[in-house]
Amino acid sequence: MNYMPGTASLIDDIDKKHLVLLRDGRTLIGFLRSIDQFANLVFHQTVERIHVGKKFGDIPRGIFIVRGENVVLLGEIDIDKLCDNVLQQVSIEEILEEQRLQQQAKQKTEKAKVTALKDRGLSIPKADNLDEY
Amino acid sequence: MSAKEKEWIIRLQMIQLQSENPHLDDYYYQEYYRRMEAKLAEEELGMRGKREPPKLTTPYVTKMDSYTPVVHIEGSLGQVAVSTCFSPRRAINAVAAHCPHEELKDIRQQRLDVLKKIEKLFMVLLEVEEQQRMKAQVLGEGEEKGLMEKTEIKVEYIYSQLQHPDLEAGEEFLPCLLVSKGKQLLARLLPFLSHDAALKVLSMVTSHLPVLMSRDADESLPVLYPSLRIVIGGMTFSQLIGVLKDFTASLPDSSGGSMCLSLVCQSKFGLSLLYALLSQGERLLSSDVPLEPSIGDFETWTDTVFLVASQLSQTALVEPLLLPSNLLTLFCRYLDKRTIHQLKSNME
Repeated sequence: MNYMPGTASLIDDIDKKHLVLLRDGRTLIGFLRSIDQFANLVFHQTVERIHVGKKFGDIPRGIFIVRGENVVLLGEIDIDKLCDNVLQQVSIEEILEEQRLQQQAKQKTEKAKVTALKDRGLSIPKADNLDEY
Repeated sequence: MSAKEKEWIIRLQMIQLQSENPHLDDYYYQEYYRRMEAKLAEEELGMRGKREPPKLTTPYVTKMDSYTPVVHIEGSLGQVAVSTCFSPRRAINAVAAHCPHEELKDIRQQRLDVLKKIEKLFMVLLEVEEQQRMKAQVLGEGEEKGLMEKTEIKVEYIYSQLQHPDLEAGEEFLPCLLVSKGKQLLARLLPFLSHDAALKVLSMVTSHLPVLMSRDADESLPVLYPSLRIVIGGMTFSQLIGVLKDFTASLPDSSGGSMCLSLVCQSKFGLSLLYALLSQGERLLSSDVPLEPSIGDFETWTDTVFLVASQLSQTALVEPLLLPSNLLTLFCRYLDKRTIHQLKSNME
Protein backbone atom coordinates (compact mmCIF):
# COMPACT_ATOMS: atom_id res chain seq x y z
CA MET A 1 0.00 0.00 0.00
CA ASN A 2 1.33 3.36 -0.94
CA TYR A 3 1.26 5.41 2.20
CA MET A 4 1.67 9.11 1.56
CA PRO A 5 3.79 8.97 -1.57
CA GLY A 6 6.24 11.75 -2.10
CA THR A 7 6.63 12.46 1.57
CA ALA A 8 9.02 11.56 4.32
CA SER A 9 7.21 9.34 6.74
CA LEU A 10 8.28 7.00 9.45
CA ILE A 11 5.64 4.47 8.46
CA ASP A 12 7.97 2.81 6.03
CA ASP A 13 10.63 2.42 8.70
CA ILE A 14 8.52 0.26 10.94
CA ASP A 15 9.92 -3.18 11.91
CA LYS A 16 13.34 -2.28 10.62
CA LYS A 17 16.53 -1.97 12.63
CA HIS A 18 17.44 1.60 13.44
CA LEU A 19 20.08 3.59 15.18
CA VAL A 20 18.93 6.64 17.08
CA LEU A 21 21.01 9.34 18.67
CA LEU A 22 19.34 11.06 21.61
CA ARG A 23 19.82 14.56 22.90
CA ASP A 24 21.60 13.36 26.01
CA GLY A 25 24.23 11.70 23.85
CA ARG A 26 23.10 8.08 24.13
CA THR A 27 23.07 5.86 21.10
CA LEU A 28 20.34 3.24 20.89
CA ILE A 29 19.97 0.49 18.36
CA GLY A 30 16.77 -1.46 18.02
CA PHE A 31 13.80 -2.46 15.92
CA LEU A 32 11.37 0.39 15.39
CA ARG A 33 7.95 -0.99 16.25
CA SER A 34 5.62 1.92 16.63
CA ILE A 35 5.38 5.65 15.98
CA ASP A 36 2.87 8.44 16.42
CA GLN A 37 2.24 11.93 15.09
CA PHE A 38 4.85 13.48 17.40
CA ALA A 39 7.50 11.00 16.22
CA ASN A 40 7.56 9.27 19.59
CA LEU A 41 9.30 5.96 18.97
CA VAL A 42 8.96 2.48 20.38
CA PHE A 43 12.04 0.31 20.10
CA HIS A 44 12.20 -3.43 20.55
CA GLN A 45 15.29 -5.43 21.55
CA THR A 46 17.08 -2.20 22.18
CA VAL A 47 20.76 -2.07 22.84
CA GLU A 48 22.64 0.92 24.12
CA ARG A 49 25.99 1.16 22.40
CA ILE A 50 28.84 2.97 24.09
CA HIS A 51 31.82 4.04 22.01
CA VAL A 52 35.23 4.80 23.47
CA GLY A 53 37.95 5.28 20.93
CA LYS A 54 37.93 2.26 18.64
CA LYS A 55 36.16 0.06 21.14
CA PHE A 56 32.46 -0.29 21.74
CA GLY A 57 30.20 -2.20 24.07
CA ASP A 58 26.52 -3.10 23.91
CA ILE A 59 24.20 -3.00 26.92
CA PRO A 60 20.90 -4.74 26.28
CA ARG A 61 17.98 -2.59 27.36
CA GLY A 62 14.81 -4.30 26.19
CA ILE A 63 11.93 -2.07 25.13
CA PHE A 64 12.42 1.65 24.86
CA ILE A 65 9.91 4.43 24.38
CA VAL A 66 11.56 7.59 23.20
CA ARG A 67 9.77 10.93 23.32
CA GLY A 68 9.93 12.55 19.90
CA GLU A 69 11.46 15.81 20.97
CA ASN A 70 14.57 14.06 22.35
CA VAL A 71 15.65 12.57 19.05
CA VAL A 72 18.63 14.13 17.29
CA LEU A 73 18.82 11.75 14.38
CA LEU A 74 17.46 8.39 13.37
CA GLY A 75 18.77 6.11 10.67
CA GLU A 76 18.07 2.70 9.32
CA ILE A 77 20.67 -0.03 9.77
CA ASP A 78 21.30 -2.55 7.06
CA ILE A 79 21.33 -5.91 8.89
CA ASP A 80 22.85 -7.64 5.95
CA LYS A 81 25.91 -5.48 5.95
CA LEU A 82 28.48 -6.77 8.42
CA CYS A 83 29.70 -4.81 11.38
CA ASP A 84 32.72 -2.61 10.84
CA ASN A 85 36.10 -4.25 10.90
CA VAL A 86 37.62 -1.16 12.40
CA LEU A 87 35.61 -1.18 15.63
CA GLN A 88 36.32 -3.75 18.23
CA GLN A 89 33.56 -5.09 20.45
CA VAL A 90 34.45 -5.62 24.08
CA SER A 91 32.56 -6.71 27.16
CA ILE A 92 30.30 -4.40 29.08
CA GLU A 93 32.52 -4.05 32.13
CA GLU A 94 35.47 -3.17 29.99
CA ILE A 95 33.67 -0.53 28.00
CA LEU A 96 32.22 1.03 31.11
CA GLU A 97 35.69 1.18 32.60
CA GLU A 98 37.01 2.76 29.43
CA GLN A 99 34.20 5.28 29.51
CA ARG A 100 34.95 6.17 33.09
CA LEU A 101 38.60 6.76 32.29
CA GLN A 102 37.66 8.86 29.32
CA GLN A 103 35.36 10.97 31.48
CA GLN A 104 38.09 11.43 34.06
CA ALA A 105 40.64 12.56 31.50
CA LYS A 106 38.13 14.96 30.01
CA GLN A 107 37.34 16.47 33.39
CA LYS A 108 41.04 16.93 34.11
CA THR A 109 41.70 18.79 30.90
CA GLU A 110 38.56 20.85 31.40
CA LYS A 111 39.63 21.81 34.88
CA ALA A 112 43.09 22.77 33.71
CA LYS A 113 41.58 24.89 30.96
CA VAL A 114 39.26 26.67 33.35
CA THR A 115 42.07 27.39 35.81
CA ALA A 116 44.27 28.71 33.03
CA LEU A 117 41.53 31.02 31.83
CA LYS A 118 40.71 32.11 35.37
CA ASP A 119 44.34 33.11 35.86
CA ARG A 120 44.00 35.32 32.83
CA GLY A 121 40.70 36.74 34.06
CA LEU A 122 38.44 34.99 31.51
CA SER A 123 35.59 32.51 31.82
CA ILE A 124 33.70 30.39 29.34
CA PRO A 125 30.00 29.61 29.99
CA LYS A 126 29.19 25.93 30.33
CA ALA A 127 27.74 24.48 27.17
CA ASP A 128 25.58 21.84 28.79
CA ASN A 129 22.80 24.28 29.74
CA LEU A 130 22.59 25.96 26.35
CA ASP A 131 20.19 23.37 25.13
CA GLU A 132 17.54 24.70 27.46
CA TYR A 133 17.43 28.12 25.85
CA MET B 1 1.96 -1.77 14.34
CA SER B 2 -1.32 -2.90 12.99
CA ALA B 3 -2.63 -1.56 9.74
CA LYS B 4 -5.36 0.26 11.60
CA GLU B 5 -2.82 2.20 13.65
CA LYS B 6 -0.86 3.12 10.57
CA GLU B 7 -4.06 4.28 8.94
CA TRP B 8 -4.82 6.39 11.97
CA ILE B 9 -1.51 8.20 11.89
CA ILE B 10 -1.71 8.79 8.18
CA ARG B 11 -5.23 10.11 8.51
CA LEU B 12 -4.10 12.44 11.27
CA GLN B 13 -1.32 13.83 9.20
CA MET B 14 -3.54 14.15 6.15
CA ILE B 15 -6.18 16.05 8.06
CA GLN B 16 -3.63 18.63 8.98
CA LEU B 17 -2.79 18.97 5.32
CA GLN B 18 -6.33 19.71 4.19
CA SER B 19 -6.54 23.15 2.77
CA GLU B 20 -8.61 25.20 0.40
CA ASN B 21 -5.57 26.86 -1.00
CA PRO B 22 -2.68 24.38 -1.11
CA HIS B 23 -0.52 26.61 -3.24
CA LEU B 24 -0.53 29.09 -0.40
CA ASP B 25 -0.50 26.78 2.60
CA ASP B 26 1.91 24.23 1.25
CA TYR B 27 3.94 26.45 -0.99
CA TYR B 28 7.29 24.68 -0.85
CA TYR B 29 5.96 21.23 -1.59
CA GLN B 30 3.80 22.43 -4.48
CA GLU B 31 6.56 24.53 -5.94
CA TYR B 32 9.15 21.78 -5.64
CA TYR B 33 6.97 19.28 -7.43
CA ARG B 34 5.96 21.74 -10.07
CA ARG B 35 9.62 22.37 -10.86
CA MET B 36 10.53 18.69 -10.76
CA GLU B 37 7.74 17.79 -13.13
CA ALA B 38 8.62 20.65 -15.42
CA LYS B 39 12.24 19.51 -15.51
CA LEU B 40 11.25 15.91 -16.17
CA ALA B 41 8.91 16.99 -18.91
CA GLU B 42 11.74 18.93 -20.51
CA GLU B 43 14.18 16.05 -20.28
CA GLU B 44 11.80 13.43 -21.55
CA LEU B 45 10.41 15.57 -24.30
CA GLY B 46 11.15 13.05 -26.96
CA MET B 47 10.76 9.89 -24.88
CA ARG B 48 7.58 8.07 -24.34
CA GLY B 49 6.26 6.77 -21.10
CA LYS B 50 7.12 9.62 -18.82
CA ARG B 51 8.03 8.53 -15.39
CA GLU B 52 6.01 10.50 -13.00
CA PRO B 53 7.61 11.07 -9.65
CA PRO B 54 5.50 9.93 -6.75
CA LYS B 55 3.40 12.87 -5.66
CA LEU B 56 1.19 13.23 -2.67
CA THR B 57 -2.33 14.23 -3.51
CA THR B 58 -3.73 16.05 -0.58
CA PRO B 59 -7.49 16.30 -0.44
CA TYR B 60 -8.41 19.77 -1.67
CA VAL B 61 -11.62 19.99 0.25
CA THR B 62 -12.94 22.44 2.73
CA LYS B 63 -12.44 21.33 6.27
CA MET B 64 -15.55 19.71 7.60
CA ASP B 65 -16.03 20.37 11.24
CA SER B 66 -17.53 17.20 12.52
CA TYR B 67 -17.10 18.59 15.98
CA THR B 68 -17.06 22.10 17.33
CA PRO B 69 -13.53 22.88 18.34
CA VAL B 70 -14.61 26.10 19.95
CA VAL B 71 -17.54 26.07 22.32
CA HIS B 72 -19.42 29.09 23.54
CA ILE B 73 -20.79 28.49 27.00
CA GLU B 74 -23.88 30.50 27.85
CA GLY B 75 -23.23 33.56 29.90
CA SER B 76 -19.46 33.46 29.50
CA LEU B 77 -17.52 36.35 28.15
CA GLY B 78 -15.53 34.36 25.63
CA GLN B 79 -15.03 30.96 24.08
CA VAL B 80 -13.51 27.72 25.27
CA ALA B 81 -11.40 25.55 22.97
CA VAL B 82 -12.05 21.82 22.92
CA SER B 83 -8.94 20.10 21.68
CA THR B 84 -8.71 16.57 20.43
CA CYS B 85 -5.80 14.68 18.95
CA PHE B 86 -7.04 15.49 15.47
CA SER B 87 -6.90 19.18 16.17
CA PRO B 88 -4.78 19.82 19.21
CA ARG B 89 -5.02 23.57 19.15
CA ARG B 90 -7.49 25.95 17.68
CA ALA B 91 -7.29 29.71 17.77
CA ILE B 92 -10.02 31.34 19.81
CA ASN B 93 -11.51 34.55 18.57
CA ALA B 94 -11.32 37.52 20.83
CA VAL B 95 -14.83 38.50 19.83
CA ALA B 96 -17.51 36.75 21.84
CA ALA B 97 -20.13 34.78 19.97
CA HIS B 98 -23.38 36.54 19.25
CA CYS B 99 -26.34 35.67 21.47
CA PRO B 100 -29.08 34.34 19.24
CA HIS B 101 -32.18 35.10 21.30
CA GLU B 102 -32.74 38.75 22.01
CA GLU B 103 -35.77 38.32 24.24
CA LEU B 104 -34.43 35.57 26.46
CA LYS B 105 -31.39 37.48 27.60
CA ASP B 106 -30.99 37.51 31.31
CA ILE B 107 -29.90 40.37 33.50
CA ARG B 108 -26.23 39.47 33.31
CA GLN B 109 -26.26 39.34 29.53
CA GLN B 110 -28.07 42.65 29.38
CA ARG B 111 -25.52 44.20 31.65
CA LEU B 112 -22.72 42.83 29.48
CA ASP B 113 -24.38 44.28 26.41
CA VAL B 114 -24.70 47.66 28.05
CA LEU B 115 -21.06 47.57 29.10
CA LYS B 116 -19.97 46.65 25.59
CA LYS B 117 -21.98 49.47 24.15
CA ILE B 118 -20.55 51.94 26.63
CA GLU B 119 -17.01 50.87 25.73
CA LYS B 120 -17.64 51.51 22.07
CA LEU B 121 -19.15 54.89 22.79
CA PHE B 122 -16.18 55.80 24.93
CA MET B 123 -13.91 55.31 21.95
CA VAL B 124 -16.00 57.77 19.97
CA LEU B 125 -16.05 60.19 22.89
CA LEU B 126 -12.27 60.16 23.04
CA GLU B 127 -12.19 61.14 19.40
CA VAL B 128 -14.59 63.99 20.10
CA GLU B 129 -12.44 65.28 22.96
CA GLU B 130 -9.36 65.01 20.80
CA GLN B 131 -11.03 67.05 18.10
CA GLN B 132 -12.01 69.62 20.71
CA ARG B 133 -8.39 69.92 21.77
CA MET B 134 -7.32 70.35 18.16
CA LYS B 135 -9.82 73.15 17.75
CA ALA B 136 -8.06 75.05 20.51
CA GLN B 137 -5.06 75.29 18.22
CA VAL B 138 -5.17 77.92 15.51
CA LEU B 139 -6.87 76.51 12.44
CA GLY B 140 -8.08 77.91 9.16
CA GLU B 141 -11.77 78.83 8.73
CA GLY B 142 -12.64 75.92 6.50
CA GLU B 143 -10.82 73.38 8.62
CA GLU B 144 -12.49 74.55 11.78
CA LYS B 145 -15.94 74.26 10.26
CA GLY B 146 -15.21 70.79 8.92
CA LEU B 147 -13.91 69.75 12.30
CA MET B 148 -16.97 71.10 14.06
CA GLU B 149 -19.25 69.25 11.73
CA LYS B 150 -17.43 65.99 12.33
CA THR B 151 -17.61 66.53 16.08
CA GLU B 152 -21.32 67.25 15.85
CA ILE B 153 -21.96 64.02 13.99
CA LYS B 154 -20.04 61.99 16.55
CA VAL B 155 -21.77 63.64 19.49
CA GLU B 156 -25.15 62.96 17.99
CA TYR B 157 -24.15 59.39 17.36
CA ILE B 158 -23.19 58.84 20.99
CA TYR B 159 -26.35 60.56 22.20
CA SER B 160 -28.59 58.40 20.06
CA GLN B 161 -26.71 55.23 20.94
CA LEU B 162 -27.03 55.87 24.66
CA GLN B 163 -30.79 55.67 24.39
CA HIS B 164 -32.13 52.18 24.62
CA PRO B 165 -34.53 51.65 21.72
CA ASP B 166 -37.13 49.57 23.53
CA LEU B 167 -37.78 51.73 26.54
CA GLU B 168 -40.44 54.43 26.69
CA ALA B 169 -39.74 58.12 26.63
CA GLY B 170 -38.01 59.36 29.75
CA GLU B 171 -36.37 56.03 30.52
CA GLU B 172 -34.08 55.58 27.54
CA PHE B 173 -30.89 56.53 29.29
CA LEU B 174 -31.59 54.48 32.35
CA PRO B 175 -29.69 51.28 31.47
CA CYS B 176 -26.53 53.23 30.77
CA LEU B 177 -26.95 55.44 33.80
CA LEU B 178 -27.27 52.56 36.18
CA VAL B 179 -23.74 51.47 35.29
CA SER B 180 -21.00 53.60 36.81
CA LYS B 181 -19.05 53.67 33.57
CA GLY B 182 -22.15 54.93 31.82
CA LYS B 183 -22.36 57.77 34.31
CA GLN B 184 -18.78 58.76 33.56
CA LEU B 185 -19.50 58.65 29.85
CA LEU B 186 -22.53 60.88 30.21
CA ALA B 187 -20.65 63.30 32.45
CA ARG B 188 -17.96 63.73 29.81
CA LEU B 189 -20.47 63.93 27.01
CA LEU B 190 -22.64 66.65 28.61
CA PRO B 191 -20.35 69.60 27.74
CA PHE B 192 -20.69 68.71 24.07
CA LEU B 193 -24.47 68.38 23.97
CA SER B 194 -26.83 71.11 22.84
CA HIS B 195 -28.75 72.89 25.59
CA ASP B 196 -31.99 71.08 24.83
CA ALA B 197 -30.36 67.67 24.82
CA ALA B 198 -28.54 68.47 28.04
CA LEU B 199 -31.79 69.61 29.63
CA LYS B 200 -33.41 66.38 28.60
CA VAL B 201 -30.63 64.46 30.34
CA LEU B 202 -30.97 66.58 33.47
CA SER B 203 -34.72 66.15 33.67
CA MET B 204 -34.31 62.43 33.16
CA VAL B 205 -31.79 62.26 35.99
CA THR B 206 -34.04 64.19 38.36
CA SER B 207 -37.17 62.27 37.49
CA HIS B 208 -35.42 58.97 38.18
CA LEU B 209 -33.43 60.25 41.09
CA PRO B 210 -34.79 57.80 43.69
CA VAL B 211 -33.90 54.81 41.52
CA LEU B 212 -30.46 56.17 40.69
CA MET B 213 -29.70 56.99 44.29
CA SER B 214 -30.81 53.66 45.63
CA ARG B 215 -28.85 51.71 43.04
CA ASP B 216 -25.70 53.72 43.34
CA ALA B 217 -23.78 51.16 45.31
CA ASP B 218 -20.30 52.37 44.41
CA GLU B 219 -21.13 56.07 44.87
CA SER B 220 -20.32 57.04 41.34
CA LEU B 221 -23.22 59.50 40.91
CA PRO B 222 -21.17 62.53 42.02
CA VAL B 223 -19.19 62.26 38.78
CA LEU B 224 -22.23 63.71 37.05
CA TYR B 225 -22.41 66.72 39.34
CA PRO B 226 -19.92 69.15 37.73
CA SER B 227 -21.34 68.79 34.22
CA LEU B 228 -24.92 68.99 35.44
CA ARG B 229 -24.13 72.10 37.46
CA ILE B 230 -22.99 73.84 34.30
CA VAL B 231 -26.23 72.80 32.59
CA ILE B 232 -28.25 74.19 35.50
CA GLY B 233 -26.35 77.44 35.21
CA GLY B 234 -27.88 77.96 31.79
CA MET B 235 -31.48 77.14 32.65
CA THR B 236 -34.40 79.54 32.45
CA PHE B 237 -36.84 79.97 35.32
CA SER B 238 -39.60 77.87 33.79
CA GLN B 239 -37.24 75.05 33.01
CA LEU B 240 -36.00 75.22 36.57
CA ILE B 241 -39.49 74.98 38.01
CA GLY B 242 -40.24 71.97 35.88
CA VAL B 243 -37.20 70.15 37.15
CA LEU B 244 -37.80 71.13 40.77
CA LYS B 245 -41.23 69.52 40.65
CA ASP B 246 -39.50 66.14 40.51
CA PHE B 247 -37.89 66.79 43.85
CA THR B 248 -41.15 67.57 45.63
CA ALA B 249 -43.02 64.67 44.12
CA SER B 250 -43.91 61.79 46.39
CA LEU B 251 -42.65 58.37 45.57
CA PRO B 252 -45.25 56.25 43.79
CA ASP B 253 -44.81 52.99 45.64
CA SER B 254 -44.09 54.17 49.13
CA SER B 255 -46.25 53.69 52.18
CA GLY B 256 -46.82 56.63 54.50
CA GLY B 257 -46.22 59.08 51.65
CA SER B 258 -42.50 59.46 52.13
CA MET B 259 -41.11 61.90 49.71
CA CYS B 260 -38.27 62.02 47.31
CA LEU B 261 -36.89 64.86 49.41
CA SER B 262 -36.19 62.65 52.40
CA LEU B 263 -34.15 60.34 50.19
CA VAL B 264 -32.37 63.29 48.65
CA CYS B 265 -31.23 64.47 52.05
CA GLN B 266 -29.38 61.19 52.50
CA SER B 267 -27.54 61.35 49.18
CA LYS B 268 -24.57 63.59 48.49
CA PHE B 269 -25.38 63.88 44.84
CA GLY B 270 -29.10 64.47 45.32
CA LEU B 271 -28.56 67.14 47.92
CA SER B 272 -25.90 68.92 45.89
CA LEU B 273 -28.16 68.88 42.85
CA LEU B 274 -31.01 70.35 44.87
CA TYR B 275 -28.77 73.07 46.23
CA ALA B 276 -27.51 73.87 42.74
CA LEU B 277 -31.08 74.21 41.44
CA LEU B 278 -32.18 76.44 44.30
CA SER B 279 -29.07 78.55 43.90
CA GLN B 280 -29.81 79.02 40.23
CA GLY B 281 -33.36 80.08 41.03
CA GLU B 282 -32.13 82.59 43.55
CA ARG B 283 -29.59 83.92 41.08
CA LEU B 284 -32.24 84.38 38.42
CA LEU B 285 -34.64 86.09 40.81
CA SER B 286 -32.09 88.49 42.18
CA SER B 287 -30.67 89.39 38.80
CA ASP B 288 -32.13 92.01 36.48
CA VAL B 289 -32.71 89.60 33.61
CA PRO B 290 -36.41 89.35 32.65
CA LEU B 291 -37.63 85.92 33.71
CA GLU B 292 -40.57 85.28 31.35
CA PRO B 293 -42.19 82.84 33.68
CA SER B 294 -45.20 80.69 32.87
CA ILE B 295 -48.43 80.83 34.84
CA GLY B 296 -48.11 79.38 38.29
CA ASP B 297 -44.33 79.40 38.29
CA PHE B 298 -43.88 81.76 41.18
CA GLU B 299 -46.37 79.90 43.33
CA THR B 300 -44.62 76.61 42.63
CA TRP B 301 -41.35 78.27 43.46
CA THR B 302 -42.47 79.52 46.84
CA ASP B 303 -44.12 76.23 47.66
CA THR B 304 -40.98 74.37 46.74
CA VAL B 305 -38.82 76.60 48.86
CA PHE B 306 -41.06 76.09 51.87
CA LEU B 307 -41.20 72.38 51.42
CA VAL B 308 -37.47 72.08 51.02
CA ALA B 309 -36.77 74.29 54.00
CA SER B 310 -39.06 72.32 56.28
CA GLN B 311 -37.54 69.02 55.14
CA LEU B 312 -34.00 70.25 55.45
CA SER B 313 -34.51 71.58 58.93
CA GLN B 314 -36.06 68.36 60.17
CA THR B 315 -33.77 65.68 58.83
CA ALA B 316 -30.08 65.15 59.32
CA LEU B 317 -28.24 66.11 56.19
CA VAL B 318 -25.20 64.60 54.55
CA GLU B 319 -22.42 66.86 53.43
CA PRO B 320 -23.03 68.08 49.90
CA LEU B 321 -20.43 68.26 47.19
CA LEU B 322 -20.76 72.02 47.06
CA LEU B 323 -22.71 74.48 49.19
CA PRO B 324 -23.72 77.55 47.16
CA SER B 325 -23.31 80.82 49.00
CA ASN B 326 -26.64 82.38 48.07
CA LEU B 327 -28.83 79.66 49.57
CA LEU B 328 -29.18 81.22 52.99
CA THR B 329 -30.05 84.55 51.39
CA LEU B 330 -32.80 82.74 49.54
CA PHE B 331 -34.20 81.17 52.68
CA CYS B 332 -33.92 84.42 54.62
CA ARG B 333 -36.35 86.06 52.26
CA TYR B 334 -39.10 83.51 52.73
CA LEU B 335 -38.80 82.08 56.20
CA ASP B 336 -38.81 83.16 59.82
CA LYS B 337 -35.72 83.49 61.95
CA ARG B 338 -36.18 80.30 63.90
CA THR B 339 -36.40 78.09 60.87
CA ILE B 340 -33.42 79.87 59.41
CA HIS B 341 -31.35 79.20 62.48
CA GLN B 342 -32.25 75.55 62.39
CA LEU B 343 -31.50 75.36 58.70
CA LYS B 344 -28.18 77.04 59.18
CA SER B 345 -27.06 74.64 61.86
CA ASN B 346 -28.25 71.67 59.88
CA MET B 347 -26.60 72.67 56.66
CA GLU B 348 -23.22 73.28 58.17
